[in-house]
Amino acid sequence: MTTNESFYHLPEGTKLPAFCQGTACFVARHVHPQRWREAAQQTRRLYCLGKCHLAPASLKDSARPLTQVHASQAIVLERIAKRVAPTLAAYQAQGGYQALEKARALAPEAIIRSIEIADLRGRGGAGFPTARKWRAVQTEIAKQKYIIANADEGDPGAYIDRLILEEDPHCLLEAMAIAGHAVGANKGIIYLRREYPAALTTLQTALAEIQKTDMLHPFAIEIHLGQGSYVCGEESALLNAIEGKRPEVRTRPPYPSQHGLFGSPTLVNNVETLANIPWIIRQGGAAYAALGFSKSRGTKVISLNSLFRRPGLYEIEFGMSLRQIVEDLGGGLKHGHLKGLIIGGPLAGIVPPHLLETPFGFEELHAIGAAVGHGGVIAFDEQTSIGSLIEHVFQFGAYESCGKCTPCRLGSRRISEMSWQSEEWSDLIAALRDTSLCGLGTGLAEFAESIQRYYHQELEDLCCKSP
Amino acid sequence: MLQVSINDQRYDFPEGMTILDALRQLKIEVPTLCYDERIEAYGGCRLCMVRVTGNPKLVTACQTPLVDGMAIETHSPEIENLRKTNLKLLATHYPQEAVEKNPHKEFHRWLYAYGLEHEACGKFDLHKQDRSHPYLSIDMSQCITCYRCVNICNDVQGQFVWQVNGRGDRSQIVPDSGTTLLESTCVSCGACADTCPTGAIADQSGQDQARTYTRTTCPYCGVGCEMDVGVAQDRIVTVRPALNSPVNRGHLCVKGRYAFDFVDASDRVTTPLIRKNGQLTPCSWDEAFAAIKSELQRILSESGPKSLGLLGSSRATNEENYVAQKFARVVLGTNNVDCCARVCHTPSAAAMKWMLGTGAATNSFDDIEVARTLLICGANPTENHPVIGARIKQRVLQGAKMIVIDPRATELARMATIHLALKPGTNVLLLNAMAATLVEEGLMDKSYLANRIDGFDAYFNFIRPLKPEIAASICGIDPEVIREAARLYATEKPSMCFHGLGLTEHTQGTEGVMCLVNLALLTGNLGKPGTGINPLRGQNNVQGAAHMGCDPSILTGSVSVQGERLRFEKVWGATIPSEKGLNLLAMMDAAGREELKALWVIGYDVYLTNPKMHETRQAFEKLKFVVVQDLFLNETAREFASVFLPVASGFEKDGTYMNAERRISRVRRVVSPRGQSKTDWEILCEVAAAMGKGEHFPYRSAEEIWNEVRSVWQEAQGISYARIEKHGLQWPCMDLEHPGTKILHAETFSFGKTTQIKSIPFEPTPEKTNAEYPFLLTTGRNLYHFNAGTMTQRTPNHHLRKSDFLDLNPLDAHHLGLREGETARLISRYGEATLPVRFTHDVKPGEAFATFHTPEFYLNHVTSGYRDRKVHAPEYKVTAVRIEKSNRCARSLV
Repeated sequence: MTTNESFYHLPEGTKLPAFCQGTACFVARHVHPQRWREAAQQTRRLYCLGKCHLAPASLKDSARPLTQVHASQAIVLERIAKRVAPTLAAYQAQGGYQALEKARALAPEAIIRSIEIADLRGRGGAGFPTARKWRAVQTEIAKQKYIIANADEGDPGAYIDRLILEEDPHCLLEAMAIAGHAVGANKGIIYLRREYPAALTTLQTALAEIQKTDMLHPFAIEIHLGQGSYVCGEESALLNAIEGKRPEVRTRPPYPSQHGLFGSPTLVNNVETLANIPWIIRQGGAAYAALGFSKSRGTKVISLNSLFRRPGLYEIEFGMSLRQIVEDLGGGLKHGHLKGLIIGGPLAGIVPPHLLETPFGFEELHAIGAAVGHGGVIAFDEQTSIGSLIEHVFQFGAYESCGKCTPCRLGSRRISEMSWQSEEWSDLIAALRDTSLCGLGTGLAEFAESIQRYYHQELEDLCCKSP
Repeated sequence: MLQVSINDQRYDFPEGMTILDALRQLKIEVPTLCYDERIEAYGGCRLCMVRVTGNPKLVTACQTPLVDGMAIETHSPEIENLRKTNLKLLATHYPQEAVEKNPHKEFHRWLYAYGLEHEACGKFDLHKQDRSHPYLSIDMSQCITCYRCVNICNDVQGQFVWQVNGRGDRSQIVPDSGTTLLESTCVSCGACADTCPTGAIADQSGQDQARTYTRTTCPYCGVGCEMDVGVAQDRIVTVRPALNSPVNRGHLCVKGRYAFDFVDASDRVTTPLIRKNGQLTPCSWDEAFAAIKSELQRILSESGPKSLGLLGSSRATNEENYVAQKFARVVLGTNNVDCCARVCHTPSAAAMKWMLGTGAATNSFDDIEVARTLLICGANPTENHPVIGARIKQRVLQGAKMIVIDPRATELARMATIHLALKPGTNVLLLNAMAATLVEEGLMDKSYLANRIDGFDAYFNFIRPLKPEIAASICGIDPEVIREAARLYATEKPSMCFHGLGLTEHTQGTEGVMCLVNLALLTGNLGKPGTGINPLRGQNNVQGAAHMGCDPSILTGSVSVQGERLRFEKVWGATIPSEKGLNLLAMMDAAGREELKALWVIGYDVYLTNPKMHETRQAFEKLKFVVVQDLFLNETAREFASVFLPVASGFEKDGTYMNAERRISRVRRVVSPRGQSKTDWEILCEVAAAMGKGEHFPYRSAEEIWNEVRSVWQEAQGISYARIEKHGLQWPCMDLEHPGTKILHAETFSFGKTTQIKSIPFEPTPEKTNAEYPFLLTTGRNLYHFNAGTMTQRTPNHHLRKSDFLDLNPLDAHHLGLREGETARLISRYGEATLPVRFTHDVKPGEAFATFHTPEFYLNHVTSGYRDRKVHAPEYKVTAVRIEKSNRCARSLV
C-alpha cells in the first residue's frame, strides 16, 4: 500500500478532524447545533465522511444506514441489502468470482460488448459510456496498462461507494480483475480516501484473503491512500496524485485511456460502476439494459441524507420520479418543509420542490440544470437560507480549488465573501462557467445559476435587506 | 494545409500548430500569462480562451490544436468581458506601485490594455521578499500564481526548485528549501526570472535598464549558446537567452546569463605593460610593439625560428586564431603553434580524424531529443555544459535510457539507468569489455559491419577474450553491469555518446576515444539521427582554435601542414615552414632545455593550468621573452610576462566561434573595448606590420579575415557572415546554397565508405597508488566557475561557490581525522596543495576530486607529468596522492 497527501505539503498534518462539514451536515446543523459549531471551528476542514444519514456527523459515528432495493433486480446492493458478510467465503457462497471465471473464458471484445449492450454509464458523475472507456484502453498497444478504481467518493451527500467498500469489497476486486482481463492490464490500484478508515480495513482484509488464493493471478491490486481533496476524485487529478505530482486536472487530450498513469493507458472507473460489472457478466448485458428507462439503463444507488424520515441507501431503477424518491423512499422530511434537493453533490444545480415530477435520469436532470452526479440526495428545509447555502458552497469550492485556474482559485473565494446579485457576481459566475478547466469551477457556476433561476425571490429579499 | 476561419476571415495554416500559434502569426493579440513557448502549455490563467464554433465551451488557444475547418472567434464582447473578469481577479491584491513603476512587464501591460491598472490595490510585502541570492530577487507579493517559474524549472532546467505549497487561493510558490532561494537546490540558470510576467522573480541586474540588445554567442563553454546582451551606457546590464536558438532554445546557465561583470572588473588591465626591473609597468602600445619587435628579431637572428612559439586562445574568435597561426607561420616562421585544445580534446580530434576522417562531433545537439539511449562518458554536462546537461536531463525524464561512465556519482550518474563507476584510468579496459560483450552476445549491427567496417576479423580475435569478467576487478565494476550497459547501448537504439575530459585526459586518452568510436561502429550508432560520438568541447572556441590551425601539424580546416602547405602558400603569398612544429607540452620541454627562447601566449593561463607546476615554472623561468595577451594579469603574466598586451573581451569584438556541434556562430561587439585594449587580431596585425610582414595581414575587419578563412577551408565556404546573421551554420557547408551539415558520415566517412576498426590494448598508466600515496585524485570543474576562474572569479558567482574543495568520501575523511571545512594537504609525488575538504558520497572511498578554479590553491602542483601516448594531453584525471590534515588555514569560506 502506498500513500501520499493528496496535495503536497498539507500543512496541518494527516490526522482527520473530528467533525464533518459536508453539505448534508451543513443543512442539518440545526439538528445538533453544538456539534456544528465545533465542526465550523476546526482549523482543518473535513468535507464529507460519507455519514450523511447521521448528519451532522462525527468521525466516531458508526450506525449503519438503511439499505433497501427498490428495483426489479438487486445488483449493486445485491449482497449488501441482504447483509452478506464481507468475507471471501460468503462472497463465493453467493456466486462470487464466477463472473471472473466466466470472463476469463471470453475474448476481451465479448466482455466489452456485453457492457456495451448493458448500456452501462459511469456512476461517478459524468455518465460516460463505460464500454467506450474500456474499448479505448483495450485498443491501445502498450507494455503496461492500469485499472484504477476511483474510491475517492468526495461528493458531499454520497456514501454509496463507502458501503460497497465496507460491505462488499470482493465485488470490487472481482470487477477490477475482469476489467484487467478485458483491457489487457495486469495491475490494479484502488485510490481510496483516508476519510473512509473502515473501508480501508475491509479492503485490506479482502485483499489479504484473495492474495492467499491465486484467483486474481496474474492480476495484482494495491491500495493507494489519498486524503483531503475533492479534486482528486477527478480521474486525471487522481492519476497525478498517484504519481506523486500535484493533483491538478490534466488537460485533455490526451485522455487517460491513451496516456494515463505514468504515461500508460489507464482505465479509471468509479467503485459503483465497477460493482455492476460482475452482475452484467453473469446475467448478460441485455438483462441489465432491461432495467431503467430512456438513455439511463440499469439501476442506480442513491443515498438520502439525515433530514429525510428514512435516510439511507436505495437501489432504484432509473426513471423513478424525484417525488417518489422523496416521499415513497425517504418518507418526506422529518421536520419542516422541503425547500430543495441537492443531487449529486453541491456542484450542480439545485432542484426546487416544483420540479419533483422530474424522473431520475441523466438527460432528464440535466434538462432542469441538475445532475445525477454520484447519486447523493440531500434535502434541505427552511432552516437553510439561500444566502447561507451560497456561502457554504462557495467556501467549499474555494477550499477545494486546486489553484490552477484563475476564476476558480480567486473567483470562488471572492464570491464566498461578497454580496450576491451585484454585477461583479454575474461576471464571476460567467468566468467560472466559461473559463474553468474542470467540473469544480463549472459546477459552482451551475449551482449559482440554479439558485438565480429558482430562488430568485429569496435572493432579491436578501439584497433588499443587506445594507 | 488547414483551412481555418478566424474572426470571419479565412486563412491557411500548416498542420501541427495550436490556435495561439496561428493567432501570434497573424498578430492577433490575446492575453496570455501562463504561456511561454519554452514550456508545455499549462492553460491555467484562462485568458487566451477563444470560442470555436461547435464547441460548447470556450477553449484555451494555447492548448488547442488547429483543426481543418475550425471557425474561431477571439474578441467578442463576451470573451473580452471574461478576460477582464479574470485579469481583475489577478489584479485585486497586486501591488499598485509595481504596476506604475514598470508598465512594460507582461502582466502590467495587459492590465493597461484592459484599462485595469487601477484595480491593483495591493502593497509590497517585505515578508514576502527574499534577497538572499546574488542574482535573483524574489518578491512574492507580486506573484500571480501563473506557475511559469515552476513549469520552466521543471520542463527546461529539470531542477524542480520551485514548488507549490497549499492549494486554491492559498497556493504559494516556494523554493524547495522551504526557506530562501540561496539555500535551495537552485542552479541559478535564471529561467524563472526570464519567464516571470511580473516582478515576483527578477534579475537584480538591470533587466529594465537595458536600452539596446545585441545578439551574440556566449563566451563560456563549447555549447555556444546564443544570447541577447542588454546594454545601457556602454555597460552590460543584462543577458537574455535567444528564444529561437537551435542551440540553447531559450535557455542559459548561471555563467552565460549572469557572469559578465568581469568585463568591468576593477583589476582589468587596459594599458600595455612592460617589465622593467622585474616590475610590470604601464607603457604605450608603440613602446610595447617596439620591445616585441626588437626582442623577437634578436632571438630569431640568434637562435632561429625554432626557438619561438605561439599559443592561440580557445577564448578568442576563429578569425583571431586564424591570424595567430598565420602569424606564427609567416611572421615567426615556425610551426611551433598550439592552443589549449592540447590539454583537453586534441585526443578526441585526433582519434576521430584517424578513424572517421573528421575530428569533430559527428552529430548535433538536436539529436539528444531523438536518442533513446545516451552514453555519457567522462563528462559532467549538468555542471560543465549546463544547457546541454538540462536537455539531456529532460530527455531522460521523458524516458530515454542513460549510461554514465564516471568514477563519481555526478548528477547525471545519479539519474542514470546504469552508472559504471569505474576506477580512474581504466576507460580502455571498460570500453573494450563492452565491445567484447557486443561481439560475444552477437549484438553488432551486422549490415553496418558488412558495409562500413574493415578489419573486423583481426579485431574479433583481439576483442573476444577481453570480457567483462576480466576487466571487472580492475575497473571495479560488476561484470554483469558492464554487460547490461553494452546491451542497452546496442539494443535501445539510436544511442548517442557524449564524452568529456574524463575520457581524454589520460595516458590512453586518444585510444580511449578510439575505443568509444569502436562501440559506435560495432552497433551502427553513427551517421544517423540520435547517434554519434560527440566530444563536449570545454571552451567557447576550443574546437575553432585548433581547427583554424593553432596546432603544430595542421593548417586551417584541420588539414596537415605537410600535405597542404603549398596550397596555403599560394593564398597567403608567403612561405610556410616545412619543419615539424612543437606542441604546447613539447614547447614547455624545449623551454626547459633552453631550446625555446620566446613564447607568445594569447588568452591562456598556461602556468596555472598546466600539470606538474614546478616543471612549468622551471620552463618559463628559462624563457628569454614572454608576451601575454589577456584581460587580466593572470598567473602566467604576473610571474613571467616580459610584455603584457591588454585585449578586448568577447563582448567587445566581432567575429565567430565554433561550438561543439561544428556550428559557426556570430560574436558581436556589444560594448566598446575598455581603455586602450585592442582585439587579439588587431594586435597581431600591427606587430606583423612592425616586423615587415604587414602585406600578409591587410585585414580591416573580422569579416575580411573570415572570408580569407573560407577561401582556404572548403567546408566553410558556404558560411558567410550574411548567412549567419540570425543563427549559426554547421560545417561542412560547401557553398552558399548548402544548408550546413547536422550529421556526419551518413553514407561515407570523410575519407571513404569504410573505416578500419582498431584493436586497442589496455596499457595501465604508470601513475599508481601505493602505501605512501593511497588515493586517486581526479580534477575538474564545477557549475559556477570556469577553468582558471579568470572570468567567473570576478563576478558574483563566487558568492554561489566560494572556493575550490577537495571532495572526499566521508568514510575516508573520518579515517583521516578530517572534519568538513577543515583544510587538507594534498601531497603527490610531484608537489602539494592545500584545500578545504568537503564530504560527499559522490566520491568513492579511496578516491578524491578537486576543482582547479581558485588560483591561490595551485592545484597543479600536485598533478603528474604523464601524457597521452599519442598527442600529449596531460593526465589530469589520475594522480596518486596522500591526504593529510593541514594546520594551515585555507581562505575563509564564509
